Amino acid sequence: MTIVACSTPPGISGIAVVRVSGKNSIEKVSSFIKDSPFNKKTPLSKICFLVDKDGVAFDEAVVTSYIGPNSYTGEDLVEISCHGNPKIISKIIDLAVDVGSRLAEPGEFTKTAFLNGKLDLSEAESVSSIIHSMSIVGVKAGVKNLKGGLSEKIKLIKSNLISLVANLEFNLDISEEDLQPDLLESSEKTIKNVICWLEKCIITFNETKMFHSGASVVILGPPNAGKSTLFNCLVDKNQSIVTNVEGTTRDVVEKNIDINGLPVILKDTAGIRKSEDLVEKVGIEKSFNEARDADLILVLNDPDKTFNDGKHIHIFNKSDIEKPDGNYDILISAKTGNNVEKLKKVIYKSLVQGKAHDTLLTSKRQCLAVESSLKHIKEAYSLLVGENSLELLVEDINRSIHFLDEITSKTTKDDILDAVFSSFCVGK
Amino acid sequence: MKRQDKKFDLVVVGGGHAGIEAALIAHKRGVKTLLISMDKNSVGRTSCNPAVGGLAKGQMVKEVDVLGGMMGAFADLSTLQSKTLNKSKGRSVWSPRSQIDKNLYEKIAQSYIKKVGLEVLEAEVVSLYIKNNSILGVFLRDKTKISCSSVVLTCGTFLNGLIHIGKEQIKAGRYGEKRSEGITENLNSLGLVSGRLKTGTPPRIKRSTVNWKKGEAGYGDKKPSPLSYRTERFSPKNEPCYSFRTNKKTHELILQNLSSSAMYSGKNMATGPRYCPSIEDKVYKFDQNPSHVLQLEPEWTMSEQIYVNGFSTSLEEKIQLKSLRTVKGLEKVEFIRPGYAIEYDFFYPSQLKNTLESKAISGLFMAGQINGTSGYEEASSQGVIAGINSSCFILNEEPLVLKRNDAYIGVLIDDLILKDTDEPYRMFTSRAEYRLQLRSSNADQRLLEKSKKYRLLDNKTLKGLSKKIENTKKIVKHLENNNVKPQIINTRLEELNERPINEPTRISNILKRPKVSISDFKIDVVQLENSLTTHMKEEIFFEAETIIKYSGYINRQKEEIDKIKVYEEMIIPEQFDYNNIKSLSNESREKFINIKPQTIGQAQRINGIRPSDISILLVYLKRPFHVKQKK
Ligand SMILES: Nc1nc2c(ncn2[C@@H]2O[C@H](COP(=O)(O)OP(=O)(O)O)[C@@H](O)[C@H]2O)c(=O)[nH]1
Ligand SMILES: [Mg+2]
Repeated sequence: MTIVACSTPPGISGIAVVRVSGKNSIEKVSSFIKDSPFNKKTPLSKICFLVDKDGVAFDEAVVTSYIGPNSYTGEDLVEISCHGNPKIISKIIDLAVDVGSRLAEPGEFTKTAFLNGKLDLSEAESVSSIIHSMSIVGVKAGVKNLKGGLSEKIKLIKSNLISLVANLEFNLDISEEDLQPDLLESSEKTIKNVICWLEKCIITFNETKMFHSGASVVILGPPNAGKSTLFNCLVDKNQSIVTNVEGTTRDVVEKNIDINGLPVILKDTAGIRKSEDLVEKVGIEKSFNEARDADLILVLNDPDKTFNDGKHIHIFNKSDIEKPDGNYDILISAKTGNNVEKLKKVIYKSLVQGKAHDTLLTSKRQCLAVESSLKHIKEAYSLLVGENSLELLVEDINRSIHFLDEITSKTTKDDILDAVFSSFCVGK
Repeated sequence: MKRQDKKFDLVVVGGGHAGIEAALIAHKRGVKTLLISMDKNSVGRTSCNPAVGGLAKGQMVKEVDVLGGMMGAFADLSTLQSKTLNKSKGRSVWSPRSQIDKNLYEKIAQSYIKKVGLEVLEAEVVSLYIKNNSILGVFLRDKTKISCSSVVLTCGTFLNGLIHIGKEQIKAGRYGEKRSEGITENLNSLGLVSGRLKTGTPPRIKRSTVNWKKGEAGYGDKKPSPLSYRTERFSPKNEPCYSFRTNKKTHELILQNLSSSAMYSGKNMATGPRYCPSIEDKVYKFDQNPSHVLQLEPEWTMSEQIYVNGFSTSLEEKIQLKSLRTVKGLEKVEFIRPGYAIEYDFFYPSQLKNTLESKAISGLFMAGQINGTSGYEEASSQGVIAGINSSCFILNEEPLVLKRNDAYIGVLIDDLILKDTDEPYRMFTSRAEYRLQLRSSNADQRLLEKSKKYRLLDNKTLKGLSKKIENTKKIVKHLENNNVKPQIINTRLEELNERPINEPTRISNILKRPKVSISDFKIDVVQLENSLTTHMKEEIFFEAETIIKYSGYINRQKEEIDKIKVYEEMIIPEQFDYNNIKSLSNESREKFINIKPQTIGQAQRINGIRPSDISILLVYLKRPFHVKQKK
């Protein structure tokens, strides 16, 4: 079956790319190319006229053919880079369907590539991560994994675990004498290292998660401090209601914005004050909840709150009409926009500073696998310390390896025996 | 009666450990069976080391025993020393092993065969009589035809066997025994693919030429346990083995003379095993080891012939002797015969179904070294299965297939048919992912039902084992359902340096702590049946304790087994054409075509097959891309 889809985002653009993949894709596309130079044997890239059924050209496009398995999907594949006019795009798709193609389902090109062994699971995920990533950092991590960066790192951790298991198996399975004297000590060391690595993987994933899915930034402060004004100022559109009446903002209002390339989910909250109004109380409650889960909190005009944990920025607003009443990190005027550009820089720095830019894990699934792996290796550690028998230890380490296998390729019993045979003299 | 007139249902070719198990079990199941051996006197011979059992192998012997095999029983009757290995480690890897009297072993085997009335013929089979891919009989060297509808081939190292000692080559099946010719060529002509493997055996030395005082004596267990469930009284001899050590000089001599060795892997010869390497391989590959252990084992009671375990070699005889004499205590040693390597034909076991029947020729079964394995226990395991399944073939019963979580035997056969080995296959406990469940102590619990179904055991043994299993369950239930009070157990817990309890607590919960054992609780309140022997009672308590201690892990494994069960039950049609799947890599396609997995589960376990290959297969088999779990 031949599948067809437009691979660039919908709407008017300079260039759009329509992909056709499948056994007869080249033949099919050739049917609407004037004097088609394409064949099933040699890959080719050429500027061609696309022609309607009546032979009239409707666009000039760069057409590139790939011969399977040397293509993205592993099948014969044609890419048509046409002008980005939706009418042209739909015409091409219609023509492809007319000659017996089918509209591709979302992600089907990547799935086909996976099915054809062009990508492993972690690579397939990287593709989706590149497509869905909200920022350039996320794209970079995705690209790195597409090249196998993740697989390499996980393979390294795995090879440590495999040689550990080999060591233990040798003692369980082959050495009929007592245990190697330093076995437990060296195992403990390896396990500790692996725990450390895996924890780091998870931490960096969580830290860099915001590069994919955005950092959450919450504005907090007493009523009338100008929270909503600041929100609007950062968002650059009037989203929140700005009034002189205290307690106007009761629900949390949020908006995705971009701060120096970093995706941010900005949240405006109810003012925080003692209130009898039930609805307002609920709003205040919500503010606190948001603040707890936030990556960063902007505290407005609150001289009493002076957290110094890097999670809070103390801002004095209305600097155009008032003098600060305490210590603040920055003075701004949300109304005039004074110093707001500087505030953006401070926000960016606080979010990014000291945090990993470099992550290996790019999907929740991968992170879950690493977490499960970590759980088992930790269990192994406590078994080791708790003087349990070796074969249970091996059981947990094997489980740990198993979860890493979910990210990369499978470890087999032979991998372990190979490790045994290459490092020990298996005498009897 | 003329030989030509003889008609059998089953002919077993070869009288080694695979052959006698296959023939005996088929005979027991009422199939008219003939065992053909090239030398009647060598039936049941243990041609290499004088021991049965050991790591992973002890477990297999017990499994064979529950399936009606004889290896454990024969060994128990000829034990020189019995010892459970790995006692310092976890109980799932405890493995019974017996040094045996080789002469006695084969005598016992031969007289048992006579006693049960299994017919044995001394002859050489040279080809099979096959029509339309079915067995009609076998032909002997003297052109006699023996009719039968099923054959079990267990030819050991005899098929085109070639012995190497240094540069010398001798055509033989074993030292001093004629090799067998014809079968390989015959099967090749029918399309079965064979290869070559090699294995080695160490020199046999004269007891009187060893200075025994220089060795370290090793004895068996004070309370030895038998290999067979059928052995009632077991008080074997306790003859010692002695360990000696090689040294720098030994190693130097060997290294200088490597070129004279046929076993040395550098040479272009059939593949040998990595796990039981020749002394030349050990010295060459593991040059960081300053010394290797040599175990001197008697071959029979107070025998003059001594087996030098750890010194498998095919160096020139002169060099073998010279280097062995560098070992302290062996300065004046003399040979009864030198060590040697032997090369022989085997058939790639991926050509077999998981019943050990040939995929191509119905009624043809193979077992033992002919399938590329090594070891008596591996041979005997396959022998029993081939014997049972050939009798099922004849009796038109459903064949017996053991799963990987049923038995080491299941692991063995599954591995054999799915990965074409290029070295002789030996069992290790680490090959079994469900090792915790495959203990030597629970072979009966795992396999008794099968044994009943296929009528493999005598009534008495069956009853005894059923009773044992019932009583074990009873105790486990007691441990899981009853509490122990703090005042009863806390003193003991404190003695063990364990956290005391504050309130009555499930016995099983406390028993799971590593240092606590079942004897710390008063459970004599549980009424065990009186007729049980003391030995059985001990085994019951031990097993109950093990079941509790491992329960967390085993339950997890059971969940896993349930999860993958769907795949084990997904049949790939025999005619499935992998050439239709263009999207498979050539490598994977070739593997699928060669191995022809019977189920998706098997396909997954083929080496080098990637998850995406399986996804593709599922798509083509019109199965959901991701299989959802039932329930
Ligand atoms: N002069 C001045 N007025 C401001 C500034 N920021 C907010 N205001 C005013 O303060 C009042 C309350 O603002 P609002 O954003 O609703 O406060 P919120 O209750 O914290 O959301 C409005 O009348 C704003 O116009 C500022 O920087 N300068
Ligand atoms: Mg507001």
